[in-house]
Amino acid sequence: MTDALDLAGEAVAAAGADEVEALVHVERSGLARFAASDVHQPTLIENATVQLRVVRDGRVGWASTNRVSGDGLRAVAARAAEAADTAPRDPQFPGLAPPEPLPEIDGYDEETAALGPEELARTARLAIDAAADYDVYGFFTSGTTQLAVASSTGLEAEQRLTDATTLVIAAGEGASGYAEATASAARDVDAAAVAREAAAKAARTRGAQSLEPAPYRAVLEPYAVAELLDYFGYEAFNGLALLEGRSFLAGRLGERVFDDKVTIADDPLDLRALPKAFDFEGTPKRPVPLVEAGVARGCVWDRATAARAGEGQETTGHAPPFAYRSYGPLPVSLALEGGDAESTEELAERVGEGIYVTRLHYLSVVHPREGIVTGMTRDGTFRIRDGKVAEPLVNLRFTVAVPQMLADVPGLTREPKLVNRSDFYGERYPYGALCPALATARFTITGTGSEPGI
Amino acid sequence: MRDACREALDAAAGAGAAYADVRGVTRRSQTVATRDGRVETVGDLESEGIGVRVLVGGAWGFACDRRLDREGARAAAARACAFARAAAGRETRALAPVDVASGTYRTPLERDPFDVSLGDKIELCLAAERALAHADVKVTSASVRALRERKLLLTSDGAEIDQEIVECGGGIDALAAADGIVQIRSYPSAHGGSSAQSGWEYVEGLALEREAPRVAEQAAALLRADECPPLRTTLVLDAEQMGLQVHESIGHPIELDRVYGTEAAYAGTSFLKPGDLGSLRYGSPVMNVTADATTPGGLGTFAFDDEGVAAAREPIVAEGVLAGFLTSRETAARIGDGRGGSMRAEGWNRMPLVRMTNLHLEPGSGSFEELLDGVDEGVYLETNKSWSIDDKRLNFQFGTQIAWEIRAGKLGRMLRDATYTGITPVFWGSLDAVAGAEEWRLHGLTNCGKGQPGQVAHVSHGAAPARFRDVQVGVRA
Repeated sequence: MTDALDLAGEAVAAAGADEVEALVHVERSGLARFAASDVHQPTLIENATVQLRVVRDGRVGWASTNRVSGDGLRAVAARAAEAADTAPRDPQFPGLAPPEPLPEIDGYDEETAALGPEELARTARLAIDAAADYDVYGFFTSGTTQLAVASSTGLEAEQRLTDATTLVIAAGEGASGYAEATASAARDVDAAAVAREAAAKAARTRGAQSLEPAPYRAVLEPYAVAELLDYFGYEAFNGLALLEGRSFLAGRLGERVFDDKVTIADDPLDLRALPKAFDFEGTPKRPVPLVEAGVARGCVWDRATAARAGEGQETTGHAPPFAYRSYGPLPVSLALEGGDAESTEELAERVGEGIYVTRLHYLSVVHPREGIVTGMTRDGTFRIRDGKVAEPLVNLRFTVAVPQMLADVPGLTREPKLVNRSDFYGERYPYGALCPALATARFTITGTGSEPGI
Repeated sequence: MRDACREALDAAAGAGAAYADVRGVTRRSQTVATRDGRVETVGDLESEGIGVRVLVGGAWGFACDRRLDREGARAAAARACAFARAAAGRETRALAPVDVASGTYRTPLERDPFDVSLGDKIELCLAAERALAHADVKVTSASVRALRERKLLLTSDGAEIDQEIVECGGGIDALAAADGIVQIRSYPSAHGGSSAQSGWEYVEGLALEREAPRVAEQAAALLRADECPPLRTTLVLDAEQMGLQVHESIGHPIELDRVYGTEAAYAGTSFLKPGDLGSLRYGSPVMNVTADATTPGGLGTFAFDDEGVAAAREPIVAEGVLAGFLTSRETAARIGDGRGGSMRAEGWNRMPLVRMTNLHLEPGSGSFEELLDGVDEGVYLETNKSWSIDDKRLNFQFGTQIAWEIRAGKLGRMLRDATYTGITPVFWGSLDAVAGAEEWRLHGLTNCGKGQPGQVAHVSHGAAPARFRDVQVGVRA
């Protein structure tokens, strides 16, 4: 593969500007996607992009290319310079990131980096074969991502990441179950076990019943918790949204906002969760407490929003890629602390009467300031009766205010699970959320959908 | 590029491919975004490469290479064939026959958006932002975009097709806040505005600066508006929200790959079955929907799709009955109907998928005012804010930025935080009127996600305001 830091250095040199930053993103990945137990979309990707940010007299311009020859680098430098020259001076530009020591983390595995099409197809086949009585739908993917940032400030940052994910829906007529596993090393992803978990769940979903829309007590598996937290956190824990008053946390920092069992951080350095050393400006990442024992503590920041916030606020190393700059700094390493329950069965006992949710589908934020999110349950929804997981339910529409959902939490399981949150759009940047299962006293069902199954 | 594509075809044939298609792609895009009167981003991005899709032993394989030369082409072809061979399963893929064609296509335009300087684009955004100024508006933003993509497609059937697509678009947003209430208003639509396959004349025609004061006033007024109450009532949707309703509850369910389950692991499947064609009642008799890859200005317009199938205009729903699916050559062969024509890949490094082209709700008759005339009590909703629909595309819930009560055929008080929900065929069955051609508008969206690895497609929807009876609005958490 291309050496990312060398390429970043060449790009800085090609720009020849007083202030310049080069971000290099190199990807080598494969994804064996299957449906009805057949691989139907096998995709291999190799790419290397160079993104230049040139600053001229306080004017900032960006350009990118994947033509990484000398000619390509000179051309992208010219386009970045032209963009900078046409921009008005930005008095709020905080300057390029200075060099700082990077955290030492290890998220790279040689064996995973070496996986080729044969291994990808073989691992997909392990999942397909393990589901036994069910057709399976999903994928196995592995990839290597190199990120490097070099700049005229002397900054040099480089990280190699590997990731592997197996995702399986096991499905038959009127039945479906879901499971997934993600890790930095492919050997830690047991594709057959994932398929067996999905198939076992599917076997319990036949004969799904309807349910009257109303608020229910509920148990949510880590898959569901991670997706809800991700959508909520996208604005709630975002420094730009806080400054603009869109965040649920705006005006609430220091206040008790959730049950005291709820502690949330963004922890990019957790070795269990696709760790990252620096952000897309080359700033070292650091863990950020967001909610501690139910009390709102803070948001994530990049250089621009930290400077705008003032009062000594520093960047936390959460600058997004160029394409997402308008969203502000994003928490992409969310971690919800575990609780004292040994299992989801114990959470069901604490709930008593309610519903059990495996995973969610197609979420949308209805009202960011209030933290209201809607979506559907899918591939494993059940009634909880007398503290036990009981009959299967049809897919349910929920519309929940996440702060209400987290205001009364009867419990969380002890061990969090890493849930993949990347859909592999654009350039590969693997990330996930570490979440336990969670019990809540309020999960509002607002409609019903179809039976489980494909 | 042509030599590289030929090299890939030859290499694929040499490695045992019974079929191959090769796309050489160069793409350039510009983005200018301003926020609160300062430039947020000025970006000029380019990407190029070659994508090779092969059928080996009845199994698909896809690989790509950023090197748009013979070496990159050979490497991509070899990897694609190796993956297909390794991934062979129980299914053997067949393709519907195609009229092999060669041709060229270029977006008709008056003024190339790349001839407009970045400085002029910045000034357009800043001027629109200045016009958004209002005491209650706390955040203003504006953006414009431009894209040029040249795509050369060669297939082992003999097709050789050279197309150049040019897109541009823009939009503005005003975020108002007071007393803990936050409201946003956008024009011409949320989520990045609207785009078209056109020259810069499209962006100038949006008249962002002219529309900005109204947008700001409405954002501020929403702070004092009542919340949309929960009730079952008559619902009227504007053309923009109708476009999204068409997209989510018709466009995706009629993708035949979803019907066959190949999207199950991500975006979901469909409530439609192959046998529903020609018989399933999708909606009321006033519902007519057309898929049209030839619509002038449409983001899904082309001369040939990524399998070399010629563009066409085809009925999808005729007088409320399902009349067609969006197909690939593979799914068309499987259902034994159609010819493909909807296959598109996001770029050189993604495999083509069945994607919407331009999907339109055909106009009915009469003006917007005449549509309201038929409403004693109801609500009118405008400009999408939130959207969610289940994996089979049945149960949906949408929210809009703004709404008004309808009383005795007239718009009344403004309402905020409006939502509505329904079940797809029930909802479309309650459609009782669509406004006429003079109210029909084309909206282009650039954020349609599908596939693993993920791909974003650009599609357009034409619609006029429409009226639905007995719909649940005002969903509460």
